[in-house]
Amino acid sequence: MKVCTQNFGKNAQNIQTYKKLGGYSNIGSRLFDLSQFEVIDLVQRSGLRGRGGAGFPTGMKWSFVPRGNKPVYIAVNADEGEPGTFKDHFLMREDPHRLIEGLIIAGWALGARNAYIYVRGEFLPAIEALTQAIREAYEAKLLGNNIGGTKYSLDIAVHRGAGAYVCGEETALINSLEGQKGQPRLKPPFPAVNGAWNMPTCVNNVETIMALPWILENGPEEYQKLGTPKAGGTKVFCISGDVKKRGVYEARLGIPLMELLESEEYCGGIVGNLKGCIPGGSSTQVLTVEECKKANMDYESLAAMGTMFGSGAVMPFNDTHSIVEMLNTLGKFYSHESCGQCTPCREGTGYVQRIISCIANGKGKDGDIELLDSLCTGFTGTTVCPLAAALAAPVQSYLQKFRSEFEEAILKNPEHASPRLNANYRPQGWWG
Amino acid sequence: MNMITITVDNKEVQVPEGKNLIEALKAVGIETPHLCYHPDLPVSGNCRQCLVEVDGPRGMALTIGCYTPVRASMKVATPASSPKVAEARKAVLEFLLVNHPLDCPICDKAGECLLQENYMIAGASNSRLNPDVGKQYHGNPEHSSTDGKGQHRGGKRIDLGPRIALDEERCIQCSRCVRFMRSVAGDEQLQLAARGGHTYITTFPGEKLDHPYDRCVTDICPVGALTDKAFRFRKRVWALSRIPTVSMDDSLGANIWADHADGVVYRVMPRCNPEVNRSWLSNAAKDVAQKIHENRLLGGNVSEAAKIIKETKGKKAIVLGGSCTMEDIAAFKKLAESFGSTAELFGGSLLPIQKADGIARSGDPVANRAGLEKAGINTNLSELLKRADEFELIITVAADLWDESPKEASGLDKIPKHIALSPFNGSTTKKTIFSIGIRHWLENSGTMINCKNMEQKLQETPTNEAAQTESARSIAEKLRDED
Repeated sequence: MKVCTQNFGKNAQNIQTYKKLGGYSNIGSRLFDLSQFEVIDLVQRSGLRGRGGAGFPTGMKWSFVPRGNKPVYIAVNADEGEPGTFKDHFLMREDPHRLIEGLIIAGWALGARNAYIYVRGEFLPAIEALTQAIREAYEAKLLGNNIGGTKYSLDIAVHRGAGAYVCGEETALINSLEGQKGQPRLKPPFPAVNGAWNMPTCVNNVETIMALPWILENGPEEYQKLGTPKAGGTKVFCISGDVKKRGVYEARLGIPLMELLESEEYCGGIVGNLKGCIPGGSSTQVLTVEECKKANMDYESLAAMGTMFGSGAVMPFNDTHSIVEMLNTLGKFYSHESCGQCTPCREGTGYVQRIISCIANGKGKDGDIELLDSLCTGFTGTTVCPLAAALAAPVQSYLQKFRSEFEEAILKNPEHASPRLNANYRPQGWWG
Repeated sequence: MNMITITVDNKEVQVPEGKNLIEALKAVGIETPHLCYHPDLPVSGNCRQCLVEVDGPRGMALTIGCYTPVRASMKVATPASSPKVAEARKAVLEFLLVNHPLDCPICDKAGECLLQENYMIAGASNSRLNPDVGKQYHGNPEHSSTDGKGQHRGGKRIDLGPRIALDEERCIQCSRCVRFMRSVAGDEQLQLAARGGHTYITTFPGEKLDHPYDRCVTDICPVGALTDKAFRFRKRVWALSRIPTVSMDDSLGANIWADHADGVVYRVMPRCNPEVNRSWLSNAAKDVAQKIHENRLLGGNVSEAAKIIKETKGKKAIVLGGSCTMEDIAAFKKLAESFGSTAELFGGSLLPIQKADGIARSGDPVANRAGLEKAGINTNLSELLKRADEFELIITVAADLWDESPKEASGLDKIPKHIALSPFNGSTTKKTIFSIGIRHWLENSGTMINCKNMEQKLQETPTNEAAQTESARSIAEKLRDED
């Protein structure tokens, strides 16, 4: 069953085609006959959970937004920066009108007058498709003042980010949207209460918003049935790595990982011998082959295996890849993307990366594995946002599950057993 | 203040309501190490040094003390009861030090550096740094260089403005200076540029840090990144003694520390008083540390002056400057009384009164105006200028009128005799027939009343010049005795 990707390859970027395929059918009495609370209740019953990575129930998030005189903003998080994730890019490129329709539904439910789509600056085709679709929607009176002849009005603006991973964190996204440096804010207050320009702001992922038209059309119970009891619906997976057919696939929540990788309907099999798999984007804990065979792709099953469902970026890799090199690449990414606000992340991610790079270059020392592990513990949970923890998760799981590879890499250093401190660092004559 | 009960390390304690955890724990004698938190600045919560464990919906969780308000019956764990907090603080400290140059032996902040203090409180652990891993120093790539050992270094000796030098390697990105310029000075001249491990403090391109309060950023810098060019490399801070006193630079009477050694005042630092100047001090008030040792007037024969006064049969005007303490005023009042009806007291300055800046300056150059008025002395000098013909002698006490406004003071040139009591050798003392050097207000003890009607005490700073001069008060007493 396809929810978000049903229009892929059908030229749905065009409003006429999208309408012919059944689009915008919700924008009329089906939506506007419902009250705001009825829509929120409907979303809650559908079991829809945030598709950006954290998996927070969407209906519950919406219910936190205070009702009052303050304007409410919706920000769509299309900053998709997690390595391995590329679903939102395709969703916006292939079916931009579904996002607009979803935003009208979300806007109605939250009483929002303005919505912002925060798109990663590099996604040029997606931005072009979106701006074109928004223009068409305005022309068709589906956006702007008095949508569908009702009193409801909604304006959508596309905001291009400047390419920072941390801007996918909702408060950093809001800071960036406001024109400030993209750094996460201290919480509380949470954005649902005090977000963009100090007003209640709801930040949702592209895929979350794009599931709304289907839910409204087919009913929340139908959507719930597609998934597991605790999380309804389908998930768009972006599968890269050593499989025969890489790409964006939509599948029911709870699908076994091996079915996703091996069935002809999806990836069509693994290239080479499977060594492990990253289940939900680079910041989730890696799975070994044995774990892969047991894993079901839903929030609870993966959490029970000590990893995370994440953003649906599945990256299986075969035994031609060196784990140390993979971690080295990841370390470079996270230390480069740290915003520099909190000490543990600013200094720690770079430090960890330099140690990994030393190990990879044959300069590792005995005890480096323990040092890496303790440094990662030191920056997990001590920072404003989870960027540092997002590096700690792969580092600690790689070290735990593929420890022998690191030990081998360290043994390549002929001086691996020499003392850690160079005498030059503490001149004996001075310090005694 | 309302007190509430919270549980700290499994013990119930009473703490003041409405404070953050750093302040609340301080009230019960528990110090929390911190770097970015400053009581007079908005919280940014980025150094992560003040971590404590607080009970929440998911049990005890690490959170920063500076951003957590106390609430009744909350549970708090400090390193005393929680090894997790101790480990977390130690980890943060290790991260802070990993890219820090550790050039304490040549750093001006050594001895009063928060990073050093926190190391002793929270860390004091050995380095785990592998020389192959090395350090990655902070700084603008344009400022980086390669040192003699072939190591890549960050920015050193960056000229931020006319008064401030920046060491980018030592900076720990706490953003105190950025927040000071933004929310206290109200002029966002400093910014954190770049991101991650490359973050550094800078001004806007082509601009310099130049603000009447910019020297404050060196006071609040927790490490030796921002240094005051006037104090740089002049004295190790542990060799300085501190005198708590009050600035007579203007009528706010900012509370200061006079840091001195070997009879020299090396710097003047703000002394926190929430009701007066909070933690701030203007550049002008700080300049006193340099000015006090320049162009001083020393010596002068008191009996000679007494003779001149005795010979004068006409009317005498005594002008008291704004930096005269209540004790000085009382002594000169007594002196004037001893002259009988021929003497008249004036006070004030010829400098214009400016607007208060809302930070640490009232704008009124007559520091003790409230005190002069309390003593019944007219603090408007226009009266004296109008009636200048009546007087035969003018005695100026720490009132350098000819330096303040030569044009207006020329109206007083018609008074035939002039005796000046002044700490400085300027145009005023050159105009006189006789001048006596007195102590500067920084070398004086006494009382002043500030523009908020608060009585504040001055203490004397022992300088080399103070050893060679006397206070205006004792000269007044001597003049009276000779009379």
